[in-house]
Amino acid sequence: MKKKIGVYICHCGGNISDYVDVEKVYAEVRNEKGVALAKITMFACADANQKEMEADIPEKDLDGVVVASCSPQLHLTTFRAVVERAGLNKYDYVHANIREQGSWAHSDNKSGATENAIHVVKAAIAKVRNAESLEPIKISSVKAVAVIGAGVSGMRSAIALAKAGCKVYIIERDHFVGGRVAQWENLFSTNETGEEIIKRLYNDTINNDNITLYTGAQVLSQSGNIGSYRLKVQINPGFVRNSVYSYEMDEAISVCPIKIPDLFNFGFTQRKAIYRNHSGQLPIMAVIDDENCTRCGDCEKVCKDIDFSQQKKEINIEVGSVLVASGFDTYTPKNNEFGYCVIDNVITLPQLKRLVAMSDRHLEYKGNRIKNIAYIYCVGSRQLDGENKYCSRYCCTAAIHTATEIRRKYKEINNYHFTRGVRTYGKQEIYYSEALKMGDVFMQSFDNELPEVLQKGNKTFVKIKDILTEQKELKLQADLVVLVTSMVPRDGISVNDLFKLPKGRDGFLKEIHLKLRPVETVIDGITIAGCCQGPMNLTESVNSALSAATKSYSYVSKGELELEPIIAKVDKEACTWCDACFKACPFDAIIKVEEGFKVFARVSDSICKGCGMCLPVCPKDAIELNSYTNREIEEMIDMLASD
Amino acid sequence: MGKVTYDAIVVGGGIAGCEAALNIANNDFNVLLIEKDLSVGGKMILLSKVFPTLDCSACITTPKISEMARHPNITIFTGSELQKVSKYGDNLFEVSIVKNPRYVNIEDCTGCQLCEQACPVTVPDQYQLDMVGRKAAYIPFSIANPRVAAIDIDNCTLCGACEKVCPTKCIDFTQEKEEWIIHVKTVILATGFNLFNPEMIPRYGFGLYKNVVTSMQMERQLAPTRPFHTVLRPGDGKVPDRIAYILCTGSRDASVGNTMCSQICCMYSIKQAQLLMGALPMADVTIYYIDIRAFGKGFNEFYEQALGMGVNFVKGKIGKISEKKNGDLVLRYEDVCSGKLQEAEHDMVVLSVGVVANQDAQKYFTDLTLKKDRHHFVQQVDPLLNPSKTSIEGVFVAGSVSGPMDIPDSILSAGAASVEAINHIIQFS
Ligand SMILES: Cc1cc2nc3c(=O)[nH]c(=O)nc-3n(C[C@H](O)[C@H](O)[C@H](O)COP(=O)(O)OP(=O)(O)OC[C@H]3O[C@@H](n4cnc5c(N)ncnc54)[C@H](O)[C@@H]3O)c2cc1C
Ligand SMILES: Cc1cc2nc3c(=O)[nH]c(=O)nc-3n(C[C@H](O)[C@H](O)[C@H](O)COP(=O)(O)OP(=O)(O)OC[C@H]3O[C@@H](n4cnc5c(N)ncnc54)[C@H](O)[C@@H]3O)c2cc1C
Ligand code: SF4
Repeated sequence: MKKKIGVYICHCGGNISDYVDVEKVYAEVRNEKGVALAKITMFACADANQKEMEADIPEKDLDGVVVASCSPQLHLTTFRAVVERAGLNKYDYVHANIREQGSWAHSDNKSGATENAIHVVKAAIAKVRNAESLEPIKISSVKAVAVIGAGVSGMRSAIALAKAGCKVYIIERDHFVGGRVAQWENLFSTNETGEEIIKRLYNDTINNDNITLYTGAQVLSQSGNIGSYRLKVQINPGFVRNSVYSYEMDEAISVCPIKIPDLFNFGFTQRKAIYRNHSGQLPIMAVIDDENCTRCGDCEKVCKDIDFSQQKKEINIEVGSVLVASGFDTYTPKNNEFGYCVIDNVITLPQLKRLVAMSDRHLEYKGNRIKNIAYIYCVGSRQLDGENKYCSRYCCTAAIHTATEIRRKYKEINNYHFTRGVRTYGKQEIYYSEALKMGDVFMQSFDNELPEVLQKGNKTFVKIKDILTEQKELKLQADLVVLVTSMVPRDGISVNDLFKLPKGRDGFLKEIHLKLRPVETVIDGITIAGCCQGPMNLTESVNSALSAATKSYSYVSKGELELEPIIAKVDKEACTWCDACFKACPFDAIIKVEEGFKVFARVSDSICKGCGMCLPVCPKDAIELNSYTNREIEEMIDMLASD
Repeated sequence: MGKVTYDAIVVGGGIAGCEAALNIANNDFNVLLIEKDLSVGGKMILLSKVFPTLDCSACITTPKISEMARHPNITIFTGSELQKVSKYGDNLFEVSIVKNPRYVNIEDCTGCQLCEQACPVTVPDQYQLDMVGRKAAYIPFSIANPRVAAIDIDNCTLCGACEKVCPTKCIDFTQEKEEWIIHVKTVILATGFNLFNPEMIPRYGFGLYKNVVTSMQMERQLAPTRPFHTVLRPGDGKVPDRIAYILCTGSRDASVGNTMCSQICCMYSIKQAQLLMGALPMADVTIYYIDIRAFGKGFNEFYEQALGMGVNFVKGKIGKISEKKNGDLVLRYEDVCSGKLQEAEHDMVVLSVGVVANQDAQKYFTDLTLKKDRHHFVQQVDPLLNPSKTSIEGVFVAGSVSGPMDIPDSILSAGAASVEAINHIIQFS
């Protein structure tokens, strides 16, 4: 039981004190049982105040500390470190949140906010009175990282990790690496092609001894924790023996009777059940798509490298950290959204990029020579009614860049941009100015009055009420309408569910804190990189990928990690093994132990996450959670419920 | 003199420099951080709340900074500047540094502020953007790090009043410039950006009309460590109730030689507008813009939120501002939606000044060539795959030294520079 508690109440420079009467809180708590020192501070987290606390602790012989301030998400670790530096155990510190759950939540009710703060601080004092010192759990960390996805983000982070001396396993679902970038030709902001970029990354990947690349692979299951994640990976065969591409494979592809839409070209072309990499993708080889192959055996007859005896393989890998770089999908417009699927010459920007890649001297679509192209922006983004409220960030620049590239390639093209205000932020503005200089026409619609695509006879028109020309109704005949579609989260990715990664409101994977911990997730040891986190262009994806590599590296570089000891513990004597906790634990941390005649539950230290699911189901009350013991919680409730 | 070799030197102690220094130090490499100002923290430590989450900026910056200041693998030199960086042998850089005298012994100063009270000299406070005064003996600002006094020798009259009251005798007028020569394996440039000087656009009247302020001045008025206890217009101390923002001041404007978009101004203006509506519930806030560039994660939603709160957005180009006798301001602008010339009266105008390159870094490299891009930022020579790489092997960029960036982007860029630097150190160890 702590008898000399220090309590610090923070103004947070007005964030708290504008709504909470800090003086009153101070007056109410200074005489609480066990409180030896109470103080008010302007910024508890500021260095000067931290130093003051560090001095107070030995001087006043404090044995427990409470800081009433912001969310523990921000500063729990800050103040734990302060008490540790002053010689206390870090669990002798308890954090009281009177900002996010106090002043900010009740800014309309100052006296209520103050009452709330008083109760919260008293409860924290009750908790610290009963707090026990705990030692962190030390575990060893495997110096290896699994990277999920071999797009630009995945490969780039793998190379950085490998160079720093980590073993890296890349797990790519597709048979080829490159992700989306393999699909694009010229890229802003350097005009390198997707193919060049992927070639550079692929060469660095396969030439690095620390990297093992698995293509056609997926994670089946995972167990373990930061420091030691065990992944079961399934590797699907390509049914082709030699990874060298030969003339016979061309033959094999041409004789294959199965034809399906080729998703690489967004369905513009078809491919066979045996198919080879597109330029941009690597390695250069052919694979057989198991799902669509009928095993007719025609290919086998013309090519000796076909091998239907290849089997699915399962391998187990152990890594200290997992870096998820599973990328994005492109938005598919709804039926008849701006005429999509209904009017013949309406396509999306990604489709346009493939169309251009496949076109030669003229730009043609369905046999018609294209002259006027209309681009409709923000399709699937910035929706007032739909789900996607966000701006996709890459698309204004990508659309303008693609449009100007097309004009350079085919002189006869006219570009008409139906925007909602152009967002070529930063240095990308240059693409916008260039397009204007080249004579591209820009219009802007009102957010609640979007352009319309109409068909009259065999002609297609786009209609807009244009802000930029005094709200004139303009109508343009277009040979091709291009919907500038958004980036959306990848659908049904097994890894997200497998690792229980949380998603944000926009559906993309969610970081812990956009500014403090932008590439970490709430699941310890799992980082996120690139477009799985939200729309980004390549430079931004790579910055995020390298940041994730930095973080994953710091989890594994030292070979040892400290974990929070806030885990469940079983009173062996009281436990009668009814298996209720075993069934309740979402992390499989409960182990059945038999010692002679005694059967009881034990908690695995490194697996338990301290969620507390096992506590209420125990009929014998034989489980407690460190740092949240019954005594602590009961006294806290008493305080919160007091007048 | 301390150690003269470090694994890495980080130049600039803004949020990007701090993040990079921490990342590298946390992996057991030692780092020297050079900051030319009296405190680390850069622009961010002076901000109010930050978009798009409206976190309190001080609350995010100060713990990072104090973690850095206390890190056993990090040494910080404030008030210091590089002189020259050259190659030393095959794999090292030789860096010469000048540590300017602070005239206060950092270790002994307790930040008691008695010197401040004693000092008879008052000059404009640069950390409050000249809106209030400070002494010649002063603590830069309340959450500065280190939070110790400094003597502004240019304005000091050497009267000795501070020396007399200082309880720890830490004031030392005999301090001189110190020169250091340091060897490092890698250099991270994180010298950040400069703000556009609005005096270059005379028709906006900045410097002439008292109630025309910059966004950074408004930022200070909204910050927890603000100069006044509410938002005031500088001309007469009146609480403003019709505030205008002029976006793209100095950006997207060939007439001032900057065609680039500054990437942060739309969002910080929208943020300030929201904060103003909270601080001054009766005030009208109007934002005059060309385009609203709410592109990042959570940004468009933040913009929609401002629309919902009643911030008035006008797509229009400002021709001219003129001042009335009572200090109110008349804006003449072309209203794009109607195509008509309009006039509007406001009692305070905030210029959302843009980002311009800080070209300090180029000065240090004389034997080696540090390339710059067309906007004079340090050039990213391989932006698609190695965004922190510069034209000099082993020299990396972090944050807004290579182009405009908000805080999340600066932090990611610093994360990227960190692993590049670590790879470089390992390769040449
Ligand atoms: C039309 C368009 C044009 C663009 N143009 C440009 C441009 O010119 N310049 C520019 O800078 N940016 C451009 N971009 C943005 C660029 O495409 C992205 O920044 C980039 O693709 C992001 O890479 P990534 O690795 O994060 O994701 P992706 O490229 O999506 O790669 C993800 C990889 O992960 C794999 N994967 C997914 N799920 C799993 C799983 N469960 N298990 C294993 N593997 C998995 C995928 O197969 C894929 O290989 C453009 C985007 C679009 C849509
Ligand atoms: C008014 C305003 C409001 C803003 N609001 C937000 C917001 O709400 N949200 C958001 O995300 N972003 C905001 N920003 C942007 C944010 O300020 C920047 O993203 C961030 O400061 C960039 O950090 P940095 O470290 O790259 O550069 P800086 O903050 O500029 O730091 C550079 C550091 O280097 C030092 N230095 C410079 N030259 C030298 C030299 N030669 N030698 C040694 N040291 C040197 C400087 O003193 C400084 O400490 C705002 C910007 C402004 C102007
Ligand atoms: S980047 Fe441009 S096209 Fe894409 S959603 Fe944002 S505003 Fe719309």
